[in-house]
Amino acid sequence: MISNNAKKQIDSWITKYPQGKQSSAVMEALKAVQAENNNQLSHDLIQAVADYLDMPGIAAAEVATFYENYNHQPVGKHIIRFCHNISCMLNGADDLILHLEAKLGVKTGQITKDGLISVKKVECLGACVGAPMFQIGDQYYENLTTDKIDEIVDGLK
Amino acid sequence: MVEIEIDGQLVNAEPGEMVIAVTDRESISVPRFCYHKKLSISASCRMCLVDVEGAPKPQPACSTPIAEGMKIHTQNEKAVASQKAVMEFLLINHPLDCPICDQGGECELQDVAVEYGSDVSRFSEGKRIVAPSDIGPLIQTDMTRCIHCTRCVRFGNEIAGIMEMGATGRGEELKIEPFLAEGITSELSGNMIDVCPVGALTSKPFRYELRSWQMSSIESIARHDLVGSNLYAQTYKGNVKRVVSGDNDAVNETWISDRDRFSYEGLSHENRLLSPQIKVEGQWKEVEWDVALDFAVKGLNRNILNSRNMAKLGGLASNTATLEELYLMQKLLREMGCENIDHRLNVKNLNNTIHLKSTMALADLEAVDYGLIIGANLRLEQPMINHRLRKAQLSGANITALNVKDFDYNYKVKSNAIAPSEIANTLAGVLKILLDKAQQELPEYLLAVSPNKQTVELANELLEADNSVLILGEHLINNAQASSISNLTAEIAKLTNSTTLNLTATANSIGAQQMGFVPNSTGMNTNEMFEADMCAFLLLDIYPEYDFHHSATALSALSKNDVFVISLNSFSNELVSQYSDVMLPMAAMFETSGTHMNIDGKMQSFSAAVSAPGEAKPVWKILKVLADLLELPGFHYENSAKVMEGISHQSVQSHEHDTSVNLGDRTTLVETIWMHSPYQSDVLLRHADSLSVSKIGQINTASMNASTAKILSLSDKDSYLGVPVEIIETMADQCVFVSSNQATNIGGLK
Repeated sequence: MISNNAKKQIDSWITKYPQGKQSSAVMEALKAVQAENNNQLSHDLIQAVADYLDMPGIAAAEVATFYENYNHQPVGKHIIRFCHNISCMLNGADDLILHLEAKLGVKTGQITKDGLISVKKVECLGACVGAPMFQIGDQYYENLTTDKIDEIVDGLK
Repeated sequence: MVEIEIDGQLVNAEPGEMVIAVTDRESISVPRFCYHKKLSISASCRMCLVDVEGAPKPQPACSTPIAEGMKIHTQNEKAVASQKAVMEFLLINHPLDCPICDQGGECELQDVAVEYGSDVSRFSEGKRIVAPSDIGPLIQTDMTRCIHCTRCVRFGNEIAGIMEMGATGRGEELKIEPFLAEGITSELSGNMIDVCPVGALTSKPFRYELRSWQMSSIESIARHDLVGSNLYAQTYKGNVKRVVSGDNDAVNETWISDRDRFSYEGLSHENRLLSPQIKVEGQWKEVEWDVALDFAVKGLNRNILNSRNMAKLGGLASNTATLEELYLMQKLLREMGCENIDHRLNVKNLNNTIHLKSTMALADLEAVDYGLIIGANLRLEQPMINHRLRKAQLSGANITALNVKDFDYNYKVKSNAIAPSEIANTLAGVLKILLDKAQQELPEYLLAVSPNKQTVELANELLEADNSVLILGEHLINNAQASSISNLTAEIAKLTNSTTLNLTATANSIGAQQMGFVPNSTGMNTNEMFEADMCAFLLLDIYPEYDFHHSATALSALSKNDVFVISLNSFSNELVSQYSDVMLPMAAMFETSGTHMNIDGKMQSFSAAVSAPGEAKPVWKILKVLADLLELPGFHYENSAKVMEGISHQSVQSHEHDTSVNLGDRTTLVETIWMHSPYQSDVLLRHADSLSVSKIGQINTASMNASTAKILSLSDKDSYLGVPVEIIETMADQCVFVSSNQATNIGGLK
């Protein structure tokens, strides 16, 4: 189930931990496997990662469901990870999320019809200084306003 | 030892131990949910916050280590305020469904909430709801009630040895659930019910039955294996409604196996034998006890006693009998002059048996640094013994297994799938190396043995260990070299200073041996009795299609026209009613007082938790009255405790065993080990419905590898000896391991 390429990546992560602690590589392993499977993890893929790292399936599932960067539903080409934790919330994240949803015509957790964008509410991304904020790919976008959101979203291809 | 102060009281404690351990020892009450004395510390519920002088914030008692001069307040304003605050948080999402919750009345959350909870919740938002998941027939889930203490998760990970439950999601989405759709499969899973402090995990068979305060809790002993786990039978109006675990560090610590916990369900099965019956002109007739016993005595007189033909009488008993029952039955038979007595029913050749003595106390097992398991799937056959060995392995012991299959061990085991016929040779190789190293003379049978890589490894492992244990298991009883394996193991143990455990017969088998429930030199054993021309049998709780190795021979011997058979049974059985002349209904587990002898030789007595249903009577009473009617001396017992006094005066005769060793090679193309699946090992278990539909109860496979299947021309759609074939590469070549939850295919090739 895991491609040789992903296995190679996982193996290199395993070497960074002490012998017998291969399960410490679970986050990177899940990431590598997810990247090769439409940016999404299935039950079977999580089990496959757990088996590969010789850990119980549920332990890998705990990690895979704790962190927001693993997807368990189909996602668009771009995922807008909107922080809704305390700093962002106090700075109006909730209203901005409503704005974004209205603009894209989807609810959080859904994908736009063209499959381009999906929106996800996530926990704190550690950028409270620039709240409210979201993340697309590896890029953080801070001090968001409705105008700024429109501009960013319109620029997504 | 350091001196600390708790609530103004001076207390001695070990530095480094946790505050909560000290308060528990001193009977100072500190509320808690996630802390459990046998599990790792998680400190996640925060309920045990106490005030430690000098610390700015309240500290969790479960994870604050003791230090010299510590001053702790468990009940001052700061401590109580913190505890109440935590309680308020815990109740935010907890439903107010105590009236329909099975845990009500024995709920840790309920108890603590009474003391620390507020009457009114300040939380006006909606409570979260978590959909229940079906995790099997034994445990009912109501996860909305879960407070995320993670005791069940830690239990699975640390005690059961397979992490099945886990905490998925995050924050308000956090859920405790299993990952696998098949739910919880551990042989110890029921303990999750006991550790759950709320009503999230409760007993499924007990669901909506009763409140805890309506039942009486009676201490009792489990008799399904060699451990004798301590437990409580909880009863209501004469029925056992639930079983929960008891504490005994020398026996079962605080855990019991699912087998011990759920077997009680069989007690109320419709198949119970409820009234004495006699067979008149081929027709069964329900009669009063005195008529039935009189009929039994007349039959014995007619067939045996009048002609003084005691050699034609045989007595057989199941290993599940109590010490008292076994003692009385052999006494009754011997008083009559009968020496044909045996409890070893499922052994192919009784001149070739395992007779190794067990020399290790159960609790010491967790301190070994090396263990060699030969012929056992300990996890399913002796779960609590496996648990001790697992603890040893986790603290560094090396465990090696010589099994026909690489079983699903729940700890690290070096496993070498090995054909049964190679075990004796392997042990001989090890013994040869050991004797060579000790520069001792080799017995003749070892001269031709040549050590190989595996035997060298095994010998080295044994030599390197300081405290090793050799364990012989049930799969060996019908090994063609059983006696040799037993003797070789004893020799190896002597040379390596190892202790030994003989787990080849289960339940009360050690007691049966001790009570002399085996023939002396003039008597016949089980198999000889069936070959001989017998006139009468006295049978204690025997079910031929499950209990005998030679079931077809047994059945034909018992079914002969002129053989008078008295059967004491707890359950009715078609075959028993075919061959018996009298059927006497007997009390089952939990229904009689008695004693169980475990692997340590520890005798644990118990009283009856309920009385037997219908006309069924405790066996000791039946045997006593039968002895009186037969006018045998020395049966004036008022209760089973008086029988026990007689037992302690019993001098145990030790038997001479053949110490020779014969090394043979494989004689058949394919070797077969035939075992009952774990929840089929005695009659009560076979009638426990929830166990039988559980994952382990459903085990019914003839395992073999692909090449063996090819030899036998079988595929995984076929069956072998009536059992579905499973093709699995963890089997030794040319071997089949059958674990069946069905009766023996009588007349089959077994």
